[in-house]
Amino acid sequence: MATERTAHVSWRGSLIEGEGKIESVGSGAFGPLDVTWASRAEEPAGRTSPEELIAAAHAACFSMALSSGLAKEGTPPEKLETSATVTFVPGTGITAVALRVRGTVPGIDEAGFVELAEAAKAGCPVSKALAAVPEITLDAALA
Amino acid sequence: MPRIVREAEIAWEGTTARGSGVVSAVSSGSFALPTTLASRVADPEGKTSPEELLAAAHASCFVTSLGSELARAGTPPERMVVHCTVTMDEVEGAGHRIVASAISARAVVPGADPESLAAAAAAADEGCPFSALVKASATVTVEARLADGD
Repeated sequence: MATERTAHVSWRGSLIEGEGKIESVGSGAFGPLDVTWASRAEEPAGRTSPEELIAAAHAACFSMALSSGLAKEGTPPEKLETSATVTFVPGTGITAVALRVRGTVPGIDEAGFVELAEAAKAGCPVSKALAAVPEITLDAALA
Repeated sequence: MPRIVREAEIAWEGTTARGSGVVSAVSSGSFALPTTLASRVADPEGKTSPEELLAAAHASCFVTSLGSELARAGTPPERMVVHCTVTMDEVEGAGHRIVASAISARAVVPGADPESLAAAAAAADEGCPFSALVKASATVTVEARLADGD
């Protein structure tokens, strides 16, 4: 079954001096969130950006896939802490995503955890959608 | 150009089926949002999901590209509203995949006509870094219309 998720964004004025808002999302979970070019390309100053949202999407997707993989092996996690860092070079594009995960997982060794983390990185839908990113790296270890 | 780095994190407790996570914006501190598998694949029930975050990323990426293209054409926009819908589906033999991202834009643009807006929207689709990535594996559609000023 297909799942649809929607977001609504508005923008007033020019790119450099104007400002935007992620007004709302279909779930109602967040919004409005301010976005500006300066907060995207310079210091965030408390405002999100497309690249931060991509990082959030990738970290969440990877964590769900890894949690699922661990449960299938009979070693469900107590806790996974994942960060994703997206690098954006204006004029070039999104050049890298760095995933880092630390897991608290009873009953698995480091090698087994790393193997499942690599599989989650390869298989999660956001990884597949971002497959054209030149460099996606993973740093996985037990906590 | 400088490298721009943005970070987010999630802390996930328990299994995918029964557990839950909180996804946070590390760079900006602008959000900390609960998410679960059920909210991702069934009713959201007020919780976000990776696909919703991608919809927000694509809409906010596209809107900056469209504004930039309209300004380049000599018709800077007064106001733009962009909606984005990301679709995830089960693809035979490939599991869950993000199959589509649909952009719909309404813009108040003095001096622009439907053709020049369509040209700017097509250029924005080319220029938005997220569109460029997603097109490699999913269908990106863009529809843009002029709106009256308010």
